Amino acid sequence: MYLTRFRLNTARAGSRHLLASPQRMHAAVMSSFADVLPGDPHAPRVLWRIDRNSRAEALLFIVSEQRPDLTHLVEQAGWPTTAAWQTYEYTSFLDGLAKGGIWDFRLTANPVHHVRRSTDEIRKRTAHRTPRHQMGWLLDRQERAGFRVLETPAERRRLAQGDEHQLTVRDEQRHRFGKTDTGTGLANRVPLVTVTFDGRLEITDPELLRRTLTLGLGKAKAYGCGLMTLAAASGGTR
Amino acid sequence: MSVLALRLAGPLQAWGSSARFARRTTETAPTKSGVIGLLAAALGRPRNADLSDLAALSFAVRIDQAGTRVRDFQTARHTDTGKAMPVSERFYLADAVFVAAVAGDDALVQDLHAAVRAPVHLPYLGRRSCPPQGPVDLEIVRAADDPAAVLREAPWQAAAWHQERHRSRPSVRLTLLAEAAPGDPHGTALRDQPLSFAPSHRRYALRTVVQTSVEVPNPRFQPGERHHATATGRRVPVPPPRHTPEAHLTQLPLHLPPDGH
Repeated sequence: MYLTRFRLNTARAGSRHLLASPQRMHAAVMSSFADVLPGDPHAPRVLWRIDRNSRAEALLFIVSEQRPDLTHLVEQAGWPTTAAWQTYEYTSFLDGLAKGGIWDFRLTANPVHHVRRSTDEIRKRTAHRTPRHQMGWLLDRQERAGFRVLETPAERRRLAQGDEHQLTVRDEQRHRFGKTDTGTGLANRVPLVTVTFDGRLEITDPELLRRTLTLGLGKAKAYGCGLMTLAAASGGTR
Repeated sequence: MSVLALRLAGPLQAWGSSARFARRTTETAPTKSGVIGLLAAALGRPRNADLSDLAALSFAVRIDQAGTRVRDFQTARHTDTGKAMPVSERFYLADAVFVAAVAGDDALVQDLHAAVRAPVHLPYLGRRSCPPQGPVDLEIVRAADDPAAVLREAPWQAAAWHQERHRSRPSVRLTLLAEAAPGDPHGTALRDQPLSFAPSHRRYALRTVVQTSVEVPNPRFQPGERHHATATGRRVPVPPPRHTPEAHLTQLPLHLPPDGH
């Protein structure tokens, strides 16, 4: 497995073109793999995510089984002569994950649930719209995903409700972009709500967590959701 | 002689002195005619009643919280005929607080105070659609004959949030509008001295108003919070936490080594 980091040059029109649409970014990411044909349902899972740390710093992270070639992205949205992309070896890191390890994590996800208004209506996928439900969505999945979000010690809690865990949710984005259905050829609108989680976790099941880190968590994985990354736990400031 | 001080505060106020026809403007402070009208209504006097005793009261007003002027474009239809009424433009003062004071004979001021506490017709702030926020009566000062002098001493009546906003200052400077003798060289003329509120023909005379300022202590002054006040006044975006998942990974060389192709 490989983890790749690419910084977008946000001053370029090409970057804005890509950042404006998860669908275009998906196409650009997928075209970095020479062996994958567009629309192949059996292609190995590629996860990607945009970290917008500031106005000028937008980072594209890709986790993939094959090594990507981002030359086209550098030419379109990077710095062709001074900076390229960095690819890191990921397999040994994943193999080194141990139960009980404590890590900071970041995850951009599409928290959804399924609702119906009456018993004879079909169930419809609907986005969670409040931070409380969005956090609840992640906490619901943590056991199956192989980790546990650390709880805030009682003396450090500042709210009556909502900061029981060392977890924040931010940057809710509501996308709505056009997509042509490959089967019917009809034009569709794709509504998509994405949020970014930052927090601290403890590994409960390294095998399950390895699956989470490589296969993703939640829906809309093609559109920059579901990629969780781990970083060394920061000092006990949170 | 006594002085009755009134706190005039409400979500909206409108004090017109030169408003005519479809453009209903407002002054920046309550007019004498508006406040005398409020008092006369509280006493229950009909529109045609003689108001020479009330008009003879001397009057002053202090601007405790200036508020903002808002404009309303108003359309209406006649409830009986259904015909469109003239389209009018109405100006209001939003979130303003004033202290007005009237001075007169002890007995009359006592009556007015009682009337404001139990009004016959409900008081409103210059326009029927502008109810006051809370009781209007503030205090009654006996053995005083200058309403401006009473207003110089009265505590600051601005809303708590407004005072909080000025907590870095030990005192604030407020505008005081007092009555002067006609022909005072510092005064300006305002046509708000009521002569008659009769619906058939309302009449107002000119009144001379002198503007001065008064320094009033701020009860919410917090020394040493000067920096804090400016820091919280502006919202600073919180940057996201740093997250570097690549920090503990080994970077591969950019150019792929030849692998047998």
